[in-house]
Amino acid sequence: MSEKKPRQILCAVRGGPESRQTVTRAIELALESGARLTFFHAMDAEFLHHATIGPLSVVYNELREMGEFTMMILCDRAERRGVENVDYIVREGNIRKQLMIIAIETKAEVMVLGRPTRSPGSNVFKMENIEEFVTTLAEEGNLKVLLVP
Amino acid sequence: MRARKFGFALSLLLALGMALLNNWQSPAQERQSGALLTGIIYDRQGQPVFNALVSLISAGGNPIEQSNTQQDGRYALEIPNPLPDGLLLSIERAHFHSMELPLQDEVQAELEQGGIVALADLTLVRRVDIGFWIATLIFIAVLILIASNVLHNTLAALLGAALLFLVSYLGAAISERLFIFDFEGALHYVDWNVIFLIMGMMIVIAVVERTGIFQWLAFMAYRISRGRIWLLLLILMIITGVASAFLDNVTTMLLMTPITIEIALSLGINPLALLIPQVFASNVVGISTLVGTPTNILIGSYANISFNDFLINLTPGVLLALVGLMIYSQLVYRKSLQAQTGDGISEILLQKLEERAIITETEHLKKAGWVGLGMLILFVTGENFHLLPSVTALIGATALLVWIRPDIEEMIEAVDWTTLVFFITLFICVGAIQEVGLISFIADGIARLVGENLVLAMLAIIWLGAILSTVIANIPFTAAMLPVIAFLTKGIPGAESKVLFYCLSVGSAMGGNGSLIGASANMVTAGISERAGYSITYAYFLKKGFPALLITVGLASVWLLIRFL
Repeated sequence: MSEKKPRQILCAVRGGPESRQTVTRAIELALESGARLTFFHAMDAEFLHHATIGPLSVVYNELREMGEFTMMILCDRAERRGVENVDYIVREGNIRKQLMIIAIETKAEVMVLGRPTRSPGSNVFKMENIEEFVTTLAEEGNLKVLLVP
Repeated sequence: MRARKFGFALSLLLALGMALLNNWQSPAQERQSGALLTGIIYDRQGQPVFNALVSLISAGGNPIEQSNTQQDGRYALEIPNPLPDGLLLSIERAHFHSMELPLQDEVQAELEQGGIVALADLTLVRRVDIGFWIATLIFIAVLILIASNVLHNTLAALLGAALLFLVSYLGAAISERLFIFDFEGALHYVDWNVIFLIMGMMIVIAVVERTGIFQWLAFMAYRISRGRIWLLLLILMIITGVASAFLDNVTTMLLMTPITIEIALSLGINPLALLIPQVFASNVVGISTLVGTPTNILIGSYANISFNDFLINLTPGVLLALVGLMIYSQLVYRKSLQAQTGDGISEILLQKLEERAIITETEHLKKAGWVGLGMLILFVTGENFHLLPSVTALIGATALLVWIRPDIEEMIEAVDWTTLVFFITLFICVGAIQEVGLISFIADGIARLVGENLVLAMLAIIWLGAILSTVIANIPFTAAMLPVIAFLTKGIPGAESKVLFYCLSVGSAMGGNGSLIGASANMVTAGISERAGYSITYAYFLKKGFPALLITVGLASVWLLIRFL
């Protein structure tokens, strides 16, 4: 029995060289299924709370702009590869929470995530708990989560 | 009826006032015939001892007259008439051994004649007790908490200050040796010039950063360079450096990093090849002015070094270091600067980049420019009429607010109160180790090490500062080192030019390039870069940053040696 083709694919990445494989996988999947591909970037600015800085509103705006720019680059790449329906969403806040929210909101059938290769910070995925998070995400968001190595 | 009541109340008040006046006058009348005994009390490092209790004790052991030493260590005792025989001068001060000395016959004779007698300078000797160890441990704990990011900087310093007060007030009830300082004594260590200067500059920065000038400048660099990435790198380093000389480094990097990443991505190069040299430039060039870094603000205020002094004595060295840094960056990133990856960039992305580089508040920028120019003139000329930099910053900030009339609530929010609280509580923590004598012991140790050799002292401070700043936060380090440098300045021939303070400025700021945690600007740059998918790890930064430290600190050392020897 063949698996039902997804109509909406979410690809949650930050951009950069470590996301390359994840993005490639999401593009391939979108091309295979003809699904809409949405790149998702959660802008987490918790690292700023340790810095002694001035007004955060301007900085948040800059981070949002940067997030949008990196997502636009990915959209550009997907379009060049032939994906017809591609867009992006940038949200502010904790990555885990935002992933849960966006999974439910977009009703995506598939989410493509990159498997962590190291533990860069307290707010993002760590090797030891990614599987647990993926299970919860799949259950609560009612979607299939693909972890790209 | 009402008039009578009012008259009665008025008479009562008058009577009370007269009674108080009489009481207030009576001690003065008693002292009219008395002589004056004065002198100055120093510690072993030659620093005046503030708030020591100086008492004149009778032969029976009763205090006849008491006075506290002023900031300059001076005391003045009014001597009653007639003067009893066998008087003792007693000096008591927390964290020092008490001292008692009999008044000599000739001094007593002079006092009896009603003159002013100045005693020879007295030296109090430090006493190491439990309070010393507690204050030291609390300070080290604050440094560790800040360096390890376990607590926010402000929370760490606030916790330190709270613990110091807790020990001083509650602990002192158990044993007086637990006493460190009281609230009033702690406030004595807070440098309000620094607090108000930072506050004023924060308001000015809040206006400027909303105008989009940084994004516009970065985009102009992109345009001017016309695809020559080596040139783009040089222009970005200059823009970042100049901005850091007038604004704080963290704000500069917060605003420059996102747009730099976007430019790098649009050019198909690794953003780190631009970002890392930029943050190096920010840390190096920031120290060319009084307001460029918090450490310079601390140093300038403490040592009374003016805006012009920094420009004359540090800027050439900073420029020399910047040239070295530019050459180094071109060499280190030569491959990344040449290698363009990807398939090129679409028109939509270029358009997006261009849209970002728009000055959003042109009028505000013009007004900020005029006010900034006025402030610069006041910073430069202010020392001629004893205008403190903090006053200039406050005048500038107020003028800007009055002129552009922004949402005042928003502007007040723009002041980073957590930073101001950090500085206030940090001053208290540093004050505690100064109070208990730790700073004096460190100063003594360094003085023994360098002797009277100015070159050795200069190199020791620059390089010790640079190396230590790679692992400990440079603001608390600088704050703690200031009294040490003041002591060394007094004792080393040739150091009266304040050269050792410039050495501290160079070491503590340029040392920030040595490691990722060496400067806040490094941390925020790494944080933003990571959010775009480009990680700056500790090892990566160390590999690129430590040679940068050696080059820039080396060149700045050469300049300082040429300038001051």
